[in-house]
Amino acid sequence: MDFLQDTLASFVSLVPVTLAQSLILAFVVLGIMIPFRMLSFPDLTSEGAFPLGGCVCGVLMAAGMPPVPAILVALLAGFLAGCCTAFIHLRFRIHTLLAGILMMTMLYSVNLRIMGRSNLSVFGSPTVFDRVPFLQPGFPASKIVMAGAIGLLAFLLLLHFFRTEKGTAVRAVGANPEMAEAQGINVWLATIGGVGLAGAFSAASGALMVQSQGFADVNMGLGILINGLAALMIGEAIVGKQSVLRQLAAPFVGAVVYYQLVSFCLAAGMPPPDLKLATGLFVLAMLALPSLKRSRGPAPARETFRE
Amino acid sequence: MLEIRSARKVFYKGQADEKIALDDLDLRLETGEFGVVIGSNGAGKSSMLNAISGALVLDAGRIVINGDDVTAMPVHKRAMRLARVFQDPMKGTAASMTVAENMLLAELRASRRTLRRGLNPARLAAYRERLSLLGLGLENRLDTRVELLSGGQRQSLSLIMAVGGSPDLLLLDEHTAALDPRTADIVMQATVRAVEALKLTTLMVTHNMQHAVDFGHRVVMLDAGRVRLQIAGDEKKAVTVPDLIGHFSVKTDRMFLAS
Repeated sequence: MDFLQDTLASFVSLVPVTLAQSLILAFVVLGIMIPFRMLSFPDLTSEGAFPLGGCVCGVLMAAGMPPVPAILVALLAGFLAGCCTAFIHLRFRIHTLLAGILMMTMLYSVNLRIMGRSNLSVFGSPTVFDRVPFLQPGFPASKIVMAGAIGLLAFLLLLHFFRTEKGTAVRAVGANPEMAEAQGINVWLATIGGVGLAGAFSAASGALMVQSQGFADVNMGLGILINGLAALMIGEAIVGKQSVLRQLAAPFVGAVVYYQLVSFCLAAGMPPPDLKLATGLFVLAMLALPSLKRSRGPAPARETFRE
Repeated sequence: MLEIRSARKVFYKGQADEKIALDDLDLRLETGEFGVVIGSNGAGKSSMLNAISGALVLDAGRIVINGDDVTAMPVHKRAMRLARVFQDPMKGTAASMTVAENMLLAELRASRRTLRRGLNPARLAAYRERLSLLGLGLENRLDTRVELLSGGQRQSLSLIMAVGGSPDLLLLDEHTAALDPRTADIVMQATVRAVEALKLTTLMVTHNMQHAVDFGHRVVMLDAGRVRLQIAGDEKKAVTVPDLIGHFSVKTDRMFLAS
C-alpha cells in the first residue's frame, strides 16, 4: 500500500513537468509521423535534426539573438537537413533508412562544429516561455501554455495544408508514387519538401527543448527516434489514423500519453537504464501486431514502403 | 494528334543479352482517332506506351503530341497532356486514399495545385454525378478508401479519372486484362462510350483480338519494335479475328486463347 501511495504521489507531482516536456517533444513525433505516414518514407533524420535545432538555437541565443528568431533559424537548418536526406534517397537511390542514418551520423559532426564543444549553457537567456501573460516564467505552467499554443497552431496549419490541393498531392506521393507521377505530381518536389518539413519540426522541437532546459548538448537526440516512434504508435492506437485529422492528432495525443507512461514507470521504480529496452520492446510489439493478427484472420491491406 | 518519329530504344546495350525494344518505330495517330495496338509478347507495345508517357527515355527519336515535342519532358509534365490506365488496377489509383481524393488528384492533373481546400461541395457533387454514369454505385462511396473496392471498381474508377478533363491523348495499357470477363466487358463498354462522347485521341494496347476487331478506327500490329502492319478505314471494318491472328508470325498461346 505504501509503495502504491509513494508511486502515485511522485507520479502526480511530476505530471506538470512531464506534460510540458511532452508537448515540446510532440513536434519530434510530428516530424517522425509526416515522412513515415504521409510519404511512406521511413526517416531517421530526426535523430540528427533534433540536436541540430538545439545546437543552432543554443549558439544563437548565446550570441544574444532573441528567442523567436533563434527558433526560426533552427527550423530552417532542420528543413535543410530533411531536404538532404530526401535528396540522397532520390538522387542516388539509397534506401530511405540508410539515407537517414548517413544524415544523422554526419549531423553529429556538424552539430559539434556549430557549437564548438559538446554542450553549451544558455541559462538566463530570454526564452519564448518568458512571454506567457499572467504566468510566472520558468514554471511548468508557462511552458505548457506556450508549447501547447505553438502545437495547436502547427496542428491547425498542417490540418489545413494536407486537405488543400497541394497537400492532397503530397499524400498521393506517399500512397502511390507511380500513380502520383502519372497524375502530374512532381514526386521529387513533394518528397523533398515533405521530408524537409518534417526535419523543420524536429529541429523546432530541439530548439524549444534547449530554451526549456537552459542548455544545448550534442547528445540530446540520443534515442529520441525510438521514443518518438513509441509515442506515435500509442497515439495511433488511441485516435486511429483513418483520416487526416486523426493522423495529425496522433503525434500530440501519443506524445502526451507516452511521456506520462514513462514518468509512471520511473516513479514505480523502474531503473532508468532499462528504459530504452522497454521502449524498444514496446515499439516492436506495436509494429509486430499486424503481422501476428494476419497469421489468423484474412490478410489486411498491404502497407507499402519505398525501397 | 500523336506522332512517334523514329523512336529507338535498346536495353542492355553492348552486352550479350542486348535487346532492341523499339527499332526506329514510326506511328501517327490523328486527333480523335482510336488506335488499337496488338503484337506478341516482347513486340515493344509496353516500351512504346512507356516512351509516350515518359516513363522510358528514348535513345533516339521524337514523341510529338498535338504538334509539341514532349521528348525531353518528365512523366509529371507530360501528364498535362495525356492520361493513362494501367493493366494493374492497383497501379492507377492511390489505395489508401478515398474515391473522392483520387478523383481530385485526377482533376488536378493538368492544372496548378493551389493552397485552397481540395474537396469542396461543388467538386463532390460533380464527382458523384460522373461516377453515377458507371452504374456501379461508386457515387455513394466517395469517402471509401480505394483499397476496399474490387478490382473492377478500381479499374472503372481509373478510367473515369483518366477520361475526366479530356486529355489530349488517352493511353490504355491492357486495361481490361486483369478483370473477369463480365467486368472486363463493363469497363470496355464504359471506355468506348467515353472515348466516343469526348472524341479522345486514344491508343489501346490489347491481347484480346475480339476487342481489336470490334473497337477503334485503326489496328496497329507491332513486331520486334517496329510497326509490322496497319489496318484502317473500310479494311478495318471488314477485318475478322482469324485475319488478325493470321498475321502473327509467332502464335503465342495467349493469342490462341484470345481467339
